[in-house]
Amino acid sequence: MSTMTLERPAAQAVVAPLLVLQKLDKRFGATHALKSVDLDFMPGEIHAIVGENGAGKSTLIKTLTGVHQRSSGEILWEGRSVALASPHEAIGLGINAVHQEVVLCPHLSVAANLFLGDESTRFGLLRHRAMVRAGQKILDDIGFAIQAGATLSSLTIGQQQLVATARASTRGTRFLIFDEPTGYLTRQEAAQLFALIRRLKAEGVTIVYISHRLEEVFELADRVSILRDGALVSTSKVSETNEGALIKGMINRSVDQIHYKETIPFGPEILRTQGLSGPGFTDVSLAVRAGEVVGLYGLIGAGRSEFVQTVFGRFAKSGGSVFWNGTEITIRNEADAIRRGIALVPESRRDQGLCLNLGVGLNINLPVFDRLTRGILLHPTAERSAADKQIRDVQVKTASREAHVSSLSGGNQQKVVVGKWLNHGAKLFIFDEPTVGVDVGTKVEIYKIFARLLKDGAGIILISSYLPEVYDLSDTLHVFRRGQLVASHVGREADQESILTEAIGV
Amino acid sequence: MTVQTKDPLATAAPPSPAPRGSRMGLVLSLTLLGLLLLLWIGLSLSTTTFLTERNLSNLMRQGSMVAIIAVGQTFVIITAGIDLSVGAVVGFASVITALLMTHGFGIAGAIALTVLMGVAVGAFHGFGIVQLGLPPFIMTLATLTALRGIGLLITNGQTISGMPKEFTGFSLESYFGIPSLFWMVIVVAVPAYVLLQHTRWGRYLYAIGSNAEAARLTGVNVKAMIYLAYIISAGLAAFVGVLLAARIGIGNATQGEGWELQAIASSVIGGTSLFGAVGSVQGPLLGSFILTTINNGANLLNVNPFWQRIITGALIILIVYFDQLRRKKR
Repeated sequence: MSTMTLERPAAQAVVAPLLVLQKLDKRFGATHALKSVDLDFMPGEIHAIVGENGAGKSTLIKTLTGVHQRSSGEILWEGRSVALASPHEAIGLGINAVHQEVVLCPHLSVAANLFLGDESTRFGLLRHRAMVRAGQKILDDIGFAIQAGATLSSLTIGQQQLVATARASTRGTRFLIFDEPTGYLTRQEAAQLFALIRRLKAEGVTIVYISHRLEEVFELADRVSILRDGALVSTSKVSETNEGALIKGMINRSVDQIHYKETIPFGPEILRTQGLSGPGFTDVSLAVRAGEVVGLYGLIGAGRSEFVQTVFGRFAKSGGSVFWNGTEITIRNEADAIRRGIALVPESRRDQGLCLNLGVGLNINLPVFDRLTRGILLHPTAERSAADKQIRDVQVKTASREAHVSSLSGGNQQKVVVGKWLNHGAKLFIFDEPTVGVDVGTKVEIYKIFARLLKDGAGIILISSYLPEVYDLSDTLHVFRRGQLVASHVGREADQESILTEAIGV
Repeated sequence: MTVQTKDPLATAAPPSPAPRGSRMGLVLSLTLLGLLLLLWIGLSLSTTTFLTERNLSNLMRQGSMVAIIAVGQTFVIITAGIDLSVGAVVGFASVITALLMTHGFGIAGAIALTVLMGVAVGAFHGFGIVQLGLPPFIMTLATLTALRGIGLLITNGQTISGMPKEFTGFSLESYFGIPSLFWMVIVVAVPAYVLLQHTRWGRYLYAIGSNAEAARLTGVNVKAMIYLAYIISAGLAAFVGVLLAARIGIGNATQGEGWELQAIASSVIGGTSLFGAVGSVQGPLLGSFILTTINNGANLLNVNPFWQRIITGALIILIVYFDQLRRKKR
């Protein structure tokens, strides 16, 4: 942890900036990722940066952490020009980052991860117990309820994220970048994170906070800068702006387009579970009708994902029954579920949703190759046109259908994950956190896909840890807490505060 | 978040007329073909013995068998697996073929049963990997060791000879000027190419190699496809065992020693990625004939056989390094 103590933020006017960017430019071949960006970061400031996916935020982070080298412009650290030619140099200065996806070693202990690259040794041998003790002290100090001796992979994704944060905030960090840190955090974990961020700020650490969740920006930040298409749109004090203005600056679209929802009359019941129990949840009864969005809200670990994965045939149920179009069925495995018309858009698109080093077309056609087959051979024209149609329909921005999915932006990757099911014609779509790490513009397009599915007579189960999203989109909202369905709301009859209270259980 | 694509207008109408994957595969094959031709031209100029009908058909015969197992190996590697057992399967299959033929089974029956044995070995690999959850490396390492043992046990370490002349004569024949063994490569490669590039199962193999979890969640029967890949690999290895028995006229459990590594090297030279999801049928074919040409040329140039091994090793590193470099630049 930094030992620097600087003046209170009130005195910032006379403090020199810690880091200044002057006409920072970055090109990747023909792509102009950062266009002459001027920014300054004060000591002890929380500076939020917002922008759509592809606006240049990631490039900015990578330039500041030494992963990419700038094409032109100046970076001044305490007034001196620095090269930032390598991550090593950045860390040496005290620049660190916490990424959205946890980049730690899952098989090592929490303490081993905290001290990775900086291990305590005696005669060349690791001092395991000393490191666990020291690690525990760090975690206790910053108020994270995590065992330092635990294996990292035994923690939830949210807890792992906190460990990554703890790691980045030690070792003399003076400039700490958070990239979408709350994407996978529960409310409580986010609160712990915010407490740590405020504490670092009080110690004079400069925080760069990148998030799609604007209310977090208003809760935490001192100033906010907007990036659009690689250029800086504006920097303003948080107290002098509002959500509408930020969104307008980010997308140059009017706000009323953001929540896209049509009312569709409900059709017959598609799925019903009666007293369904499985790993991590008990006695869940709910129904999904055609044209209906059923939202599942709860903290991470409340049993929502386990519930839908049991419906999808991943886990065996331990009790209760599942009815599909009115008849009781047993779903043996995922393939069985898909055959019946259930599609799951999984939580982690990289790990579970996409074949990253294969073409967009192959990914999109993967569920329907059996229909593109004549005899035993694939029908080449059918294969191409099916892929092209889906690429157009969900507006995937890709160079061609053969371009690898890894070359797409995060939002476009997510469109591929969702889009591959449109051709399939499933009747029930399960979306598990479909908009995590996705920008506002892509969100709108994903919501439009929802509307299209509903219009085609499908039902949707939507899992989201982002309350405004499930709240706005759900026709029926079920609240999960510790493996049980504790409350159900039709429409928007309850307010968000009471739903949150039900989920937390205070 | 990754870098945006350069041309957002491309959304409306994906322009590429030919699939990029196959085009890249084609370019890669052409480069390897160029390398092979370069080797041939060089050897034709530097020796008087290379460009003779006798040497060329010999070279084709030598390369054919590794080429066939390299194709099978490639199916497995595309799923991000590995099959270390193919050399042992070749030796074991030569024993089985010889035993069957010397014990009253007809030629056709003996070949069919031997290939069936290979299929059974492949299914056993699938069982160990899918049902028991063993890593492919371990599972096929175990059968590599065990099959050699079984082969030595049932032959008591002896060589089995006395196969019919019609069978052993086959390997020396030529049709339309092309050695019969090379025809076998074509007989294997064409259906293999169709399976890999023009059926959904081929697509599934690539998808599994790229991300098995995503493939499973999309309804691909991952287990069945893993079985398929290992059955193809071991089945082709058994078929090569039959060809080898015909070529050398005997069955011997120690034959095919180290062929698994030659097959893997051929496949990798041919552009297959050991991380899965990248590979073709033409790649390992060219790879194996490049390796065979290097050995053949070294023999003709009277290079010390110990040096030959060193040179081959160095060339594998060079070829694969330059290939990676070239593909990164794209």
